[in-house]
Amino acid sequence: MRFRVSVIRAREAWLAVMVLVVSGLLALAEPRFLNASNLVSVGTGMIYDLPVAAGMTLVLALGGIDLSVGAIIGLTSVVTAIYLRSGGSVALAVPIALAAAGGAGALNGVLVARFKVPPFLVTLATMSIARGTATVLTSGYYLSGLPPAYLQIGRGQLLGVPYPVFVVLGVVVVFDVLLRRWKPLHDAYYAGTNPPAAVLSGIDVGRLVFAGYVASALAAGLSAVFMTSRLAMGYARFGELAELRAIAAAVLGGASFSGGTGSILGAALGVLLLAVISNGFVLLRLSVYWQGVVSGLILVAAIAVDASRRRRNEPR
Amino acid sequence: MNDQILGVQGVSKRFGRHTVLDEVTFGVRAGSIHALVGENGAGKSTLMNILGGALRPDSGTVTLDGRPAAFADPLAAIRAGIGTVHQEFGLFPNRSVAQNIFAGREPTGRAGFIRWRALGRQAQAILSEIGVDLAPSAPVATLSVAAQQMVEIAKALSLRPRVLILDEPTSALSDHEAQRLFRLLADLRSRGVAIIYISHRLSDVRQIADEISVLRDGRLVGRTTREASPADLIGMMVGRHIESITPSRRTNLGAEIFRVEGLTRHRVFADVSFGVREGEILGLAGLVGSGRTEVARAIFGADRLDAGRIWLEGRALAIGSPRQAIASGIGYLTEDRKALGLFLTMTVGDNIVAASMPKLVSRAGVLRPRAIRAEAARYLHRLDIRPVDDRVEARTLSGGNQQKVLLAKWLSAAPRVLIVDEPTRGVDVAAKAGIHRHLSQLADAGMAIVLISSDLPEVLGLSDRVGVFREGRLVTILDGATATQEDIMRHASA
Repeated sequence: MRFRVSVIRAREAWLAVMVLVVSGLLALAEPRFLNASNLVSVGTGMIYDLPVAAGMTLVLALGGIDLSVGAIIGLTSVVTAIYLRSGGSVALAVPIALAAAGGAGALNGVLVARFKVPPFLVTLATMSIARGTATVLTSGYYLSGLPPAYLQIGRGQLLGVPYPVFVVLGVVVVFDVLLRRWKPLHDAYYAGTNPPAAVLSGIDVGRLVFAGYVASALAAGLSAVFMTSRLAMGYARFGELAELRAIAAAVLGGASFSGGTGSILGAALGVLLLAVISNGFVLLRLSVYWQGVVSGLILVAAIAVDASRRRRNEPR
Repeated sequence: MNDQILGVQGVSKRFGRHTVLDEVTFGVRAGSIHALVGENGAGKSTLMNILGGALRPDSGTVTLDGRPAAFADPLAAIRAGIGTVHQEFGLFPNRSVAQNIFAGREPTGRAGFIRWRALGRQAQAILSEIGVDLAPSAPVATLSVAAQQMVEIAKALSLRPRVLILDEPTSALSDHEAQRLFRLLADLRSRGVAIIYISHRLSDVRQIADEISVLRDGRLVGRTTREASPADLIGMMVGRHIESITPSRRTNLGAEIFRVEGLTRHRVFADVSFGVREGEILGLAGLVGSGRTEVARAIFGADRLDAGRIWLEGRALAIGSPRQAIASGIGYLTEDRKALGLFLTMTVGDNIVAASMPKLVSRAGVLRPRAIRAEAARYLHRLDIRPVDDRVEARTLSGGNQQKVLLAKWLSAAPRVLIVDEPTRGVDVAAKAGIHRHLSQLADAGMAIVLISSDLPEVLGLSDRVGVFREGRLVTILDGATATQEDIMRHASA
């Protein structure tokens, strides 16, 4: 246990304090924040961002970036809806959604890991391709009329809690433990810090990077499944700016653009902070249009913290 | 040589039209240290990369235990028991010492989960074995360069290699640390490890090597023992006699044109004052970290000054940025040529004119390509930069030629005062002599030069006066003609 890098733990503790401070201020300003129904809605609101931020953390730890996740959510949603409306089986809808998302991730992975194209450019391109394809397939319309059995995936409840909450929590916890302690995934930190040295240490960097982009896209696919089911429609514009929130959350949680750091727990706390802030906008009746501005500002702040941390690590 | 573990027989390697290794035969026996010396560009790195599996020879064979071996990649060589400690560190800065030593090979339990406690124990065992006092849990980024070097060595040794290849292992170490490394190497030798030791430092090589092989222009030109004199070794390395630094003391010094008074940067240096005369070389000696480079950076406007004043030709200067410093007539040749000096992926020509663009553009700011190429060509010839081609990328040049490109950049900017920081670090003997000659000529032509160097013979040989730094203060200024290395060290470390 002594060998977990203490910096990461410090960051997570700091972030948890931030969440408590912001929540405290919000509770003072608007007591309804503490209502059970509000807290549940904050929690369920996070089910879309949590998997995406977890995948983003892995990609950032590997020294990459994935701008395409938001667009993959839109594409996956549209593909699922088209499949279901053409009479497809509900049982196969989820595997098909994940296959569509994973395919997009595999494209990212091959281009980055095999052909060494800079990930920023690759995922910028796939972002445009995925969002464009989704829009072409639907001409920009909503696809509603999905079978009720499919809607149960996102809306069904166990002990009063929606199914997706259990799934997402499970994914986050397992993912966190694996990245921390399971050698095949923990190798990502080596691969992201110093790729040539990682290769010489016997780590298959290319395969890990490929797996990272596939995992990130699958996480986006999971998010799309829940969104499509809970909102009962396929829509090409689902997941807009999801990449931005995921990057902000991951960087807040300790990930760095120079690779080699970050934790899923940290990213989850980052998502929680963003969710509480955005809940504050609703409760305080501020225009929701400000939320994009605030997410962007938080991202800038997180990047500034990352940059100053990197400066400190330089010899001079 | 029948107990030879690792070797090459008649190995040649070409890159394009350039022959880097020509029919080289070389090997190392169990329980011995074989040093490989040669100038930059002599082929040492290429040979090391072939032995370590990073490159394949065009002809000839690599042998392991007397049998031909073809390593598919560096990993295959590592698995065959060949450990390499590279000059540039292959470490993971934000991981712990233990994780670095066992990167990719952590002890795992069932299902692949890492056993952290076993990892710490095993790392501690290796560190104790080589006599290094480091906490296995410390992040590598927090360690000194010397300690990082030891981590790198611990990592190589954790694989229980039969052959250990070290590339310039003492370049970042203090004398004391180097001695500790030598004791460790002697201990490994007594346990039967074969060691290939690549270095520029002839004193190191003569201290520890059993055999010494000399490479020159890709050919093995000599094999000798540690009894060889430095002059003999240098003669073999360069193939001609290089005069040691000629103390070309100047007699016609002009008036003082540059003066700094009371320069202070909190917790870095304090109350530094000195002046330089026209045509004078002022040496600045001191231990690494004594504040010399920091003073130079502050004069050049790269770091903020908390107090102090700077005059050039009687005018008080207010320098807030390197841009202003250059415009005022001050040049600074950095000690870190790769990170802070060169634009590695740009051409040699682009690098040479990087600080003198203002005189090479039209009044509207448009580049004048012909003037630029002429300017670059002038300095390529004047400084004898190889290849004589302004269109090759700077990263392809040898260390000595890169350093000359940096010098050319500042000559082209034609400053009144030039501060050169470790101008010959990591360059070969011939390039070093060339750089010394050019610095002398510049001073003769009336430039005021501040020479920061940790190479005491260099400082003493070139400087008219030598200032000595200790813990952020300029403690004394000695006369270059009479000062000795002992004088300098006494002031620097008192």
